[in-house]
Amino acid sequence: MALSDYQRDMEGCSRCSSCKWVPFNQIKSWRFAKNCPSICRYNFHAYSGSGRMIIGLSMLTGRSELNDHVAEIVYRCQLCGACDTACKVYRDDIDLTEVLLELRAHCVEQGFLMVEHMAAIDALKREDNVLGEPKAKRGEWAEGLPLKDINRERCEVLFHAGCRYSYDPDLRDTVRGAARLLLEAGLEVGIAGAEESCCGGRAYELGFRGEAENYAEDLLSRVKASGARILVTPCADGYAHFRYLYPRMGKEIPCEVLHITQLLERLILEGRLRFREEVPFLLTYHDPCHLGRMGEPFLGEWKGDKLQRPMSMKRAGRKGIYEAPRNLIRALPGAELVEMERIREYAWCCGAGGGVYEAFPDFASWTARERIEEALATGAEGLATACPWCVRVLRDAAQEMGAELPVYDLVDLVLQAAGIAEKERV
Amino acid sequence: MTTATLETWKEISEAAYRDLENAVGAENVSREPAVLDGYAWQPTINDDPAKWVKRPVAVVLPSSTEEVQEVVRACNRHGLKFKAFSTGWGVYSGPTYDNVVQIDLRRMNRILEIDEKNMYALVEPYVCGAQLQAEAMKRGLNCHIIGAGPACSPLASATSGWGVGWDGVYMSYGHRNLLGAEWVLPDGEVIRVGSCDSGLGWFSPDGPGPSLRGLMRGSTGALSGLGVFTKCALKLYPWPGPSRVNVRGLLLDAKAEIPENVRFHLCFFPDRKRLADAVYRVGEAELGYLATRTAVAAFIYTFAPHLLRRIAGTRCLRDVLSRGVKWGFVIMLVGASEEEIAYQDAALRRILADHDGLSIEAMGVPAIGSMVFMNFFRVTAIPMVFRMGGLFSTALDRNDTWDTQLDWAEIGESIKRKWIERGGILDDLADNPFMALYESNMWAHCEEIFQYDARDPKHLASLEPMFIEFSVAAIEKCMEPLSATDARLRKIVSPLMGHYNEWQKKVSAMVDTNRAADTGMYCDEVDFDFSKVEPELKAKLDRLVERFRWTEDGPPS
Ligand SMILES: Cc1cc2nc3c(=O)[nH]c(=O)nc-3n(C[C@H](O)[C@H](O)[C@H](O)COP(=O)(O)OP(=O)(O)OC[C@H]3O[C@@H](n4cnc5c(N)ncnc54)[C@H](O)[C@@H]3O)c2cc1C
Ligand code: SF4
Ligand code: SF4
Repeated sequence: MALSDYQRDMEGCSRCSSCKWVPFNQIKSWRFAKNCPSICRYNFHAYSGSGRMIIGLSMLTGRSELNDHVAEIVYRCQLCGACDTACKVYRDDIDLTEVLLELRAHCVEQGFLMVEHMAAIDALKREDNVLGEPKAKRGEWAEGLPLKDINRERCEVLFHAGCRYSYDPDLRDTVRGAARLLLEAGLEVGIAGAEESCCGGRAYELGFRGEAENYAEDLLSRVKASGARILVTPCADGYAHFRYLYPRMGKEIPCEVLHITQLLERLILEGRLRFREEVPFLLTYHDPCHLGRMGEPFLGEWKGDKLQRPMSMKRAGRKGIYEAPRNLIRALPGAELVEMERIREYAWCCGAGGGVYEAFPDFASWTARERIEEALATGAEGLATACPWCVRVLRDAAQEMGAELPVYDLVDLVLQAAGIAEKERV
Repeated sequence: MTTATLETWKEISEAAYRDLENAVGAENVSREPAVLDGYAWQPTINDDPAKWVKRPVAVVLPSSTEEVQEVVRACNRHGLKFKAFSTGWGVYSGPTYDNVVQIDLRRMNRILEIDEKNMYALVEPYVCGAQLQAEAMKRGLNCHIIGAGPACSPLASATSGWGVGWDGVYMSYGHRNLLGAEWVLPDGEVIRVGSCDSGLGWFSPDGPGPSLRGLMRGSTGALSGLGVFTKCALKLYPWPGPSRVNVRGLLLDAKAEIPENVRFHLCFFPDRKRLADAVYRVGEAELGYLATRTAVAAFIYTFAPHLLRRIAGTRCLRDVLSRGVKWGFVIMLVGASEEEIAYQDAALRRILADHDGLSIEAMGVPAIGSMVFMNFFRVTAIPMVFRMGGLFSTALDRNDTWDTQLDWAEIGESIKRKWIERGGILDDLADNPFMALYESNMWAHCEEIFQYDARDPKHLASLEPMFIEFSVAAIEKCMEPLSATDARLRKIVSPLMGHYNEWQKKVSAMVDTNRAADTGMYCDEVDFDFSKVEPELKAKLDRLVERFRWTEDGPPS
């Protein structure tokens, strides 16, 4: 596909501005009524979903040209999908996220790149991760855990840690804990260790499509070789790319793909994982974009006139993962869930996505601070989430703000309730 | 009407740009063509096939009245024009000249006050209807939301353009709810309209203190042709329901917790007369929180356009919808107590019985209840009307008596039917008026909506001839013809309506000596290009114009 393939989507924009707001049925206050971090931060219409589509149309029809400034507008966006979901509440014929992705691919084709993104892509090419960490150290997080090495043995569950969990020292206990929970439940878990690669989704989002396809191929061959019946990942980004991007590229993963929250929920329901300890907090939950609306599986490509596209084939986020993490919180002994105003399909983004964390850290932090404000407004004692990127940026924001709001990876809370956290520390 | 051409567009001068930067800060002004085009794409209610309007020379994002003043003064100094923009949905919010600075009021987004006791809210331009309603509901109050939906700015409609909505039966019309405004005139001076100017609070638009409401707003609104409104007070109304309506889901599967004290009736009558009489009776009985006459086909193409396409091709189903349930009326009742809602319900049923009407209590119908409730209460479904063809337009008659508006709906339907048969527009079964009632149902609004697909050259070619055909029909019936915001039509119809535009031009000249405001939508006049219009229709229009033209002695006999 190319930008020009989406000209009709762009021309379809009525300029109604729904893409700037939480879907109207769901607006509960003045304060938390908006959904798009980019337009909220930069204000010109060009920074909204609609505005970016108009940029695309303007360029396609020869009215304006791509330059550094325009490319920067394109990239000052988390690709969080909030605009797309809001637009699709009302429209059948506009695939806004696809236009945003095409704009990025167009920028890459034309050589308009963000320096920080180039660095991430170079790192990816060199070390197979976007953080630029040594490939050889990718599997270190798992040292001492009785996990199978899928490069040599077959397994029941293939655990894909993802880039950030593999390297972020703050998240090491979490990722080890996630694996321990699965082991505790009696599953036979395998990892690729140093051979695990990035899912390639970030590269795709930055506009580097070839790289993404290679990584998809790589993962597919690993899954096949491992004989796993489940591919599980604690990384929401990875999950979304496995469920949406890969099948869209024609690379369907030949086993069940689950996010860690789904598998943990299942294990609890099956009685294979039991809680022993209290987690006596009032918690609120942040839906990671890539687990929620962007985590909706690929629904198939509609080939005809999009005005006639059936509802079941529009990517509106309905089949994202919303309940599993909430059910986990509800199952934690002593914990209570209080919701923020912007949740589920219309959750406010944490700020990290779409290459913003790398290229525009101040904007990522601004976005995260807005989410912390929203969480604080609920009166919650803690903010739980289920994505390493969200945890990172939200934790940093809370700290910068001096907010008394611990940010938890949901896995940590499950570990605490299962009484495993202590054991791990010992 | 405006054209997409960039040939005459020029870059803003350095000096003018610096002045704008000084006014709002460098990060709040842009002259980047791609950014400017974000303000030039205006396909809605735009019958120019290109769908682009004039590209502004710069866009500014002021955060205060003082900054707006500075921007306006800079425009005056540099021979530029300005055009205000609140949420900017529709062709009228874009520039109509080549040298326009677009003032995007997005950063002026606060609800400054909600006075619960005196039931008003003081708002800035970028507060949207849904935000104001959500905050008002927390205080047992509600606000008028126009039919364009909750994304729009209540300030924009009350001060500057139209203001019609389904809740008109209870909450009236945009500018009737205006209780005062802060107004930056085209020379940069700021004045306050109404009691607020005397330091007495924002409770009356007509004094003590200068009123000027008629002058600033008139019937349609000046659409930024007379300056920029930076805040205004809007009347709020009682809402005896919950402080928040919880809704689960987003799409058509959404489920709302419908308050106990709300009833929603879809009423049908055997013929036009009985519908008309019943609606007058409903008005006399002061019933209704929301009310409209809307065609069943409009519901279907909004919520299930795929289904309407199928129905349109099935003769018996067409007949059922076009004839069987033609004379329909929708009304939402809200009671402050169980007794009140019981009374209202009984009174409505009595009126229905007296006029051989029947009703479906929609709240009880699974799947439909939630949909209709939020759609009417918050007007949430409106962007869905683009689902059928991608675009729509409207043949706007203005506000008149309920009976006259029923006439207009029938005229509109017959014109549309012809164009549907020719393949000039999409088939929505033709009968599709957007109507609202006001103030005991003595007067009402009606516009005939039609759907088209901008990819179809035949549809694009139909827009202008249809426009003229609707106008001719309105003039023939002595109705107020179409939208006075179109400079071409204004030139044609102003002489038939007391030369109203001469007065508008005088008002403009008085407050805008440098002609800094973009008056394209307010009082400019442009010749209509009749090349796409059939000669007989043009001749008919000429005859009517000659016949009804006001002379120096007054109206025609
Ligand atoms: C699909 C659709 C349906 C519609 N249905 C209805 C309807 O049912 N009832 C109705 O009344 N209208 C309707 N309209 C027209 C609608 O009134 C206007 O679109 C509405 O005012 C838009 O609000 P906005 O916030 O987008 O204003 P804008 O589009 O930003 O502004 C509307 C006009 O007011 C001017 N303006 C805006 N803010 C200011 C300001 N602060 N100072 C001076 N001038 C200003 C603008 O220049 C523009 O000319 C409809 C429009 C559309 C596109
Ligand atoms: S919601 Fe969709 S149609 Fe409306 S302005 Fe945004 S992109 Fe355009
Ligand atoms: S993807 Fe997110 S940040 Fe980007 S335009 Fe859409 S809502 Fe805004």
